[in-house]
Parts: sequence; structure tokens; C-alpha cells
Amino acid sequence: MPPFLSMTKANLLMTVRNRTALFWNLVFPAIFILIFGTIFSSDQVAIDVGIVGPESAWKAETIAVMEESEAFTVFVDGGADEELSELEEGNRDAVVVFPEIDAATNAPATVYYDEAGGPFGQISVGAVQQVLAGTALGDQQVPIETVAVSGTDFSYMDFFLPGIIAMSLMNSGVIGLSTAFVSYRERGILRRIRVTPFPLTSFISSRIVSQLIVAVPQSLILIGLASLFFDLHIRGDPLLIGVVIVVGALAFLAIGFALSSVARNVESAASYANLITFPMLFLSGVFFSIDNAPAWLQPITRVLPLRFLVDALRETMTRGNGLDAIWMDLVVLLGTFAVGLTIAVRFFKWESRPR
Amino acid sequence: MSIHRTSLRIERLGRLTYLAGGVILLHGDSKTRGTTTSGSQVSPNVAIGEPLIVADSLRKRYESTVAVDGVDLTVYAGEIFGILGPNGAGKTTTLEMMEGLREPDDGTITIAGFDTRTNTRAIQQIIGVQLQSTALFDYLTAIELLRLFGHLYRIPDAQNTTDRLLQMVGLEDKRDSTVSQLSGGQQQRLSVALGLVNSPVVAFLDEPTTGLDPGARRTMWDTIRGIRDAGTTVVLTTHYMEEAETLCDRVAIMDSGRIIALDTPESLVLALDAATTIQATVVAEQFDARAIEQLSGVVASSASEGNIKIQSTDAQATIVGLLDLSNRSGWQLSQLRTRVPTLEDVFLSQTGRTFQPDNDDEDEAAPRKPRRSFRRSRGS
Repeated sequence: MPPFLSMTKANLLMTVRNRTALFWNLVFPAIFILIFGTIFSSDQVAIDVGIVGPESAWKAETIAVMEESEAFTVFVDGGADEELSELEEGNRDAVVVFPEIDAATNAPATVYYDEAGGPFGQISVGAVQQVLAGTALGDQQVPIETVAVSGTDFSYMDFFLPGIIAMSLMNSGVIGLSTAFVSYRERGILRRIRVTPFPLTSFISSRIVSQLIVAVPQSLILIGLASLFFDLHIRGDPLLIGVVIVVGALAFLAIGFALSSVARNVESAASYANLITFPMLFLSGVFFSIDNAPAWLQPITRVLPLRFLVDALRETMTRGNGLDAIWMDLVVLLGTFAVGLTIAVRFFKWESRPR
Repeated sequence: MSIHRTSLRIERLGRLTYLAGGVILLHGDSKTRGTTTSGSQVSPNVAIGEPLIVADSLRKRYESTVAVDGVDLTVYAGEIFGILGPNGAGKTTTLEMMEGLREPDDGTITIAGFDTRTNTRAIQQIIGVQLQSTALFDYLTAIELLRLFGHLYRIPDAQNTTDRLLQMVGLEDKRDSTVSQLSGGQQQRLSVALGLVNSPVVAFLDEPTTGLDPGARRTMWDTIRGIRDAGTTVVLTTHYMEEAETLCDRVAIMDSGRIIALDTPESLVLALDAATTIQATVVAEQFDARAIEQLSGVVASSASEGNIKIQSTDAQATIVGLLDLSNRSGWQLSQLRTRVPTLEDVFLSQTGRTFQPDNDDEDEAAPRKPRRSFRRSRGS
């Protein structure tokens, strides 16, 4: 067997046999899926939409579409003030105010939603916008049936799962790779490899390749689990989702690798890794939307790689959007990969005690 | 300092001695192992008894400390070459410069004619290495590790090679055990086996028996002799006097970064010209200390409360004379015992300090260093 293939095979064997890694990469996110899924899926998800404004073809069409779909519960009887206060009290997920003039003049409809309403508010807005886009022309040119998302409902899991997949990719990259490499260094395995004809670059890329190979079934298992127990719809192109998963995994592997070069020992690598992953977990919209975070926090959340991965996964998996919606996310993730790798190579050490 | 000159002299002497010693070595092989060592097994370039590794004025400094301070040595194909010294003497650094893990600040090393600086890849193909830390991947079994390392050298899966290696280190029944299921000694032996997957011309073993219990240590010695008998030259470091004496064909004694003596263990002791100590308990009505002093070979003697202690340069003649004397004088001799000089005495005579081996705790084992202080080079 060629050296690279043999090393990759050995890495895969080690990953599968490593119970700790298995826990963090699979069991831990699975527990999250089960707990959060159970808690939030219990109330049957329907988006409560208040619709107000003067009558128009657009409005009528929208109401018709929404009433037809199980995803929406439509409230049409209230006035604007009434509905908006319902929204404030949390009884509506979104309120659509139609314009005074007919839709043909391109006057916009306004969608109100509760910022504090958490992830569901965002989903609601997305869903409502899809419907509005579909009904905007209201005639033969854009048949309502062709609007992909309008007839489907978003479950909590649709929103939650991409975040959990992103989390598990982050953990296996940042925590898994960094501690593994530091322990290789501490135990002299890097030096042992160094005295063989197998180049270090091959050793490192073999590890990265094997983690990428693991990332795909890892995501598939989580998807399978979520769809088995909960209401899950994946709308995007599987190939594109796969690309997002691989690119995301690469970015976090590079961060983990950079950490391993900087950290002195396994303990410090683990604490750095936690220091990086933990805040990211809460500031990247995995569990709740960060749109309502204080203004000073917003710029910080906008540089967190996890946020871009979560975003890219939700755009594709949940909303079924294409490359045009996520190319920026992919660029940022690839940039993270490049920066991480540069730091890793720059500070690489063969042995744990510099002398 | 005169020590440096001394070491040069001894090395030249050592080379001559080795040629004689080589014959003994081959003889010993066929007697103990029932195998013959053939030159072709070593390397097409280097025949048994020819210089395989030549190190020339090696120097290595770590920040403020000088770890290796002008080391010259030659390792000949087919021998077990030991580097003996207390912790911090520079043994591991010397070994690691040969392995290509460290670049010397000064000096050159060639292995089978390849320069370690410029022919790294070529050297990596022909050397085998066992590091002080066992450096094994968890979660892989012994056989998986052996196959993996074989592949790193692009050696095809030859079932018999890996099984032969496992047998050689006595792990054939641990074939499918993972690293974590092996004892420390077994891990160390597996680590040695991994160093042999490429059938190396020379195997570097860094303290292969440190941390092993006496039984496991002897097993390792047999393994190492087996490696040598199979045609691989062995270079090892140790801080065990006994190991150097019984296992190594030639020994370089290192202290404070220098080689203070280099020869076969026997020649080192002989060159010391040290006296054998003869001790006995005497019960005598009339004890004559002067009669003892006049026995042949006696250099010095002392007697107190019936215990006599004699320093002799000719132990056999002195003992014969002593027995004869006690017969004639009607003494009752008991507990007659001798202590021949060892490498310990060689170290003592060269450094003025006693060697403190057989202590695995590295910090405590580090000897007092009157001239210069060194940091311990563990895991390196």
C-alpha cells in the first residue's frame, strides 16, 4: 500500500476506535439534537402571520397561499396597530403590512417580525418573504405553484440541524485535531515520523484528508438521526451541501492545526480550543439568533468562522438556496483555512520542549 | 585539557583492539546463536568490520549549555556500539545528530558514506530508530503498526517479515493487541521492532532498557544481540554499567558532552591497570600482616578485626599464595571474595566522580556536575 494511503487508513482506524473523539463528534451533537428537538418540536410549528393593509390582488393571493399551506396560520381581521401589538406580545411570528397602492407599482410590503423571537422569527420572515415573492405579480407570469418554499413548512429541526452539524465539524476540527497533534508531539510520534522517509507534509495532509472523510458520514449520521426522530426537510442541492461541509471542515481543521502549533501541551491545547469554540458556539446563531445581540457585539459575531458555516449550511439545507447565496461564506471559510494553515506552518514544532 | 588527548589515543587503540575483537564476536555468534553473520547482509557498501558511521568533532549547544563538546567516534559494521554515561552527558544528543533529528552546530557525520546533512532521505531509508519515548500511535494493534511503518518505507505487505519481527521481540502472541493493552516493556520492544521494519543497516536504540525490570532487560539484551546477529549494526545509549559491559562490543563513555574513554569493555578495564580487590575473613592465633604484604602481586593490604583487604595486580598468584600461607600458618580463611574493576572504576578514574546509574528518576539521577551544568535531555 502506498505510504499516504496506509497512513490515511491508519488515521481512520484510530478515529473510529477513539471513543472520546467519537463522543465529541457524534454522541454529543446527537444528544443536542434529541434534547432540543424534543423540547421545541413538541408544539406543532406553524408560522402565525398577521396580514393587514388595503385589499389588493397581491394581498388576496398571499392570504390564499398561506391559508392553503399548513406552515402558516393567517390572521386577517386586525388593524395594523392591533396586529403589531400582538407581535410584540409574541402572538404573531410576523406581520405583513401591504402597501396602499396596487402591487404593480412596485410599492413594497413591509414584514414585521419580533427580533427577540429567536430563530423562529428569522425563519418566519424567510418563509413569508418567499410567499410574497411568489405572489407579487399574482398573474400567469409567476404561477404560485412554482415557488419552491411556499408550500413547505419549516420545522424547528430544519433550523437547528445545520447549526449542530456546524458545531460537530468545529469540534472535531478545533478540539480533535489540535489535541491529537499536540499529543503526537508530546509523545515523540512526530519525531518518530521524522526519521522515516515519510514527509511531514504527507503526514499532516493525510490526517486532514482522513478527518474530511470522517466529516461526511458524521454529518450524514446527524442528518439521519434528525430525520428519523423529527420533522426534517432538506431542500438544497446535496452536492452543494457536501461542498459546504468539506469547506467548513477544512477551515476548522486549519484552526485546530494552528492551535497545535501554538500550544505547549495537550492541556493548554484543550483549553485554547475550548476558549475558541465555546464563545463561537453561542455567538454564531447555532442555538438562537444573534440578530438581537447588542450592537457592540455584532461586529464580533460577523468575524466568527462558525457563523459563516452556520449561515452557509442554513442557506443551502434549510432554504434551498444555491451557490449565489453562500459564495461569500465559502470565501471566508477558505480564507480561514489559509490563515490557519499559515500560522500552523509558521509556528510548527517537532518536539514539545524547545531547547 | 588532557582528557581530550586521552580520548583520541584510546580511540586509535580501540580500532586496533576491535579488529581482534571482531574475530571473537563472530566466534561468539556461531556459538550462542547458531547463525553466521555474513557481510552481504549488512550493506553492499559496508562489510563487517569496516567503518559504518564516522562522526567528526561534533558540537551541539542548546542556548546556554553545551550538550556535545567535540565528539569523534567511528562505529564499525556488525558491532553493538554503546554510548554510556550519566544523564545529561550528551548521549541522546549525539545519537539524535546521527539519526538526523538534530543538526550539529559543528562537525560532520557520515553513515555508509552518506552525509547526514545533505543525504537525509538516503539515510532515512537505511537507518532504524527507537526513541526514548516509545512514540506509538494508540488504537492500533502491533501488527497494524508494523504494516503501517513498513508502508512508510514502501515495503510491501510481506506477512513473514512482520511476523518474524514480532517473534524477534517476543510479541508474537500480542499480534492483535492494541498499544494500550501492552505493558511498558512490551511497548518498548514493539518500538524496537518498528525500528527494524526497513531491515536497516544500523539501528539506533536510545536507552532501550530504561524503565524495564531486570527480567525484561535481559530479554531486551537477547533481542538486541539477535538484531546484531541478523546483520544490523546497533548503536545504543545506556546509563547502565552492566548493560554496557555485557551487551556492547565497544563502549564510548561520555561525560559532560565529551567522550572520556572508548574501547571494548574489557580493554577499558584492562587499560585502567587497576588492582583486583581480594577480601577475606581470617581466624588466626598468630596473624602476620607483613606475610600478606609479601605475597606476589600485592600492591597494598590492610587488616582489622580479622578482616583482610588486599589490592592485587595478579589476583590468581595472590590467592594461591594466600591459601598456601593460611595452610602453613594454621589460619582459618572464610568468605574469600574478589571484586574485579568495572567500567564504574573507569568512569571514576576519568572523572574523579562516581557514576550513579540504576536510577530511573531522571532528575535525581542527574549527577552533580562540578565543571558545567547540563539540562537533562529527556524525550529528545
